[in-house]
Amino acid sequence: MKTFNFWTIILSAAVLIFSSCKKDDDDNSANTPGAIGIKFDHGWGPMHNPFSLNTPLIHPATQEEITFTTLRYYVSNVILHKANGEDWIESESYRIVTVPGSSSTVRLEVGNIPPGEYTGMTFMVGVDAPRNTSGAQTGALSPAEGMFWSWTTGYIFIKAEGMSPASPSGQFMYHIGGFEGAENAIRTTRIDFGGQSLVVNGSIKPDVHLKVNAARFWHGGISLGDISSIHMPGANAVTIADNFIGAFTFDHFHQ
Amino acid sequence: MRFLLLISFILIFGFCSCRRDVPQAENSAVQIPVPDHFPPLVYTFERNPPTTFGVELGRKLFFDPFLSRDGLVSCSTCHQRGVGFADPRGQALSEGVFGRVGNRNTPALANLIWYPHFNWDGGINHIEIQPVAPITDSAEMDMDFRELLDKLQKHPEYPDLFQKAFGSDSIYSQVFLFALTQFMSTLVSHNAPIDDYYRGQSSLTTEALAGKQIFDSKCATCHSGALQTDFSFRVNGLTAFNLADRGRAEITNDDKHIGAFRVPSLRNVEVTGPYLHDGSLSTLREVIEAYSSGILNHPNLDSALPVGGFNFSDLEKRQLRFFLYQLTDFSFINPN
Repeated sequence: MKTFNFWTIILSAAVLIFSSCKKDDDDNSANTPGAIGIKFDHGWGPMHNPFSLNTPLIHPATQEEITFTTLRYYVSNVILHKANGEDWIESESYRIVTVPGSSSTVRLEVGNIPPGEYTGMTFMVGVDAPRNTSGAQTGALSPAEGMFWSWTTGYIFIKAEGMSPASPSGQFMYHIGGFEGAENAIRTTRIDFGGQSLVVNGSIKPDVHLKVNAARFWHGGISLGDISSIHMPGANAVTIADNFIGAFTFDHFHQ
Repeated sequence: MRFLLLISFILIFGFCSCRRDVPQAENSAVQIPVPDHFPPLVYTFERNPPTTFGVELGRKLFFDPFLSRDGLVSCSTCHQRGVGFADPRGQALSEGVFGRVGNRNTPALANLIWYPHFNWDGGINHIEIQPVAPITDSAEMDMDFRELLDKLQKHPEYPDLFQKAFGSDSIYSQVFLFALTQFMSTLVSHNAPIDDYYRGQSSLTTEALAGKQIFDSKCATCHSGALQTDFSFRVNGLTAFNLADRGRAEITNDDKHIGAFRVPSLRNVEVTGPYLHDGSLSTLREVIEAYSSGILNHPNLDSALPVGGFNFSDLEKRQLRFFLYQLTDFSFINPN
């Protein structure tokens, strides 16, 4: 009997503590900062056909056979837009999308977003000029990430590598960067959420699905046979950056 | 029991007092000299104020061949103090790991916190980033940066040293580069006879003064100021047009820059040979002779230079050489 009383008390106390915790959360979380996922779902061509590394694909426009072995790029300086024109600008906003061998989708998480309803977002593919010129950085901007040129200072914004019979060498290597003047390959895209509002607060974690058309590298008459190797800033890097920024389109939410 | 208690008390006391007797050295700020007659500082330490432990750690890293692929090449293999942090082996092109050689002469190191860019082609835009180039270059230290950081993290000493210097034993690229930068920042050469002359503390010999006059009228167009460089990129015509090493054009991809290299500082130039971007001239006499009679008609030749050369007399060559000796800072290359 004594034992029973003891456990009853413990149990009730536990229930009380947990339930009160939960109630607090519920009360506040709708007004606390939240997090979202941005899912980059890589596809092939305007029909979003399946894309994966190490798989031969036929380019819908050039008909060239292309096999990716690497696809990585910086997504930086994320901004979320509200319908009333207010923006939330993420600080220290630098991430790398690395397409793995096992999946075509990469999810990045953006946290600490003020609660509210957002109707669109903007991000940069690349790294802004100040971070290319201000010395040693941290996190995704560490040179150890392998997205950095050591011989001419600057980040490799986009790294796409693979094989193609259309290339004279049988391989292709696009290392896209450049942050100054005519060589500026930093590109920014604004994604509107198709008239919907993304609700952000501490109690939910919605995902924004974006489609990324990996075939966009070869767009506007550019073929892999013409450009198969880019390893420094310049006109070719700018052309490819212009093409690839058009790869990103809004698909849907999960919330 | 009482006896044991007593023993433990003695032990505890003993340890406490030991600890108090040998106080841990405190990390403290390091003052880097900033001479009045130098140009404005480029690196201002805002995010990376130098400390005794930070500089010490940077020095250890600089001298440690552990940082290289074959474990035999450190920064100091090619940069030694006795020769103004140039290559002590006197190689035109320095040997890196596995005896590999690159295509540029090892630059001397001094006063790097006044440099707006690094390397012969100026490709590196920041002192903190500079070490990434030699560490990862396959002909120098040939290390993958991630692999290097992992290796340091597992090292028996480095995590503690980073803890002491930066307050965390986690070794990531920024603190690693900060430490090396702190050490490199201390390499300030400002006590050559020319510095005493600039400070008005002493004069130069008649011969060196005559050399200075020639230098000022013929050389200081590019080798200007207290660091003897305007940090521009120019074609000096001392080497032939060469597409195998396009110099500044490797960075800018501009054909007008083919063959252009950075005007080097002449600090400690007496001891930093061989000379030129490719180390093709061994002695100062040869360099002066080349400027006197060996300036080639390079398509991108700098407009300040006459094809053929300056045609110095033997006396002028000697005077120029004596002036250049005034740039040797013995307190820098041979401290204590």
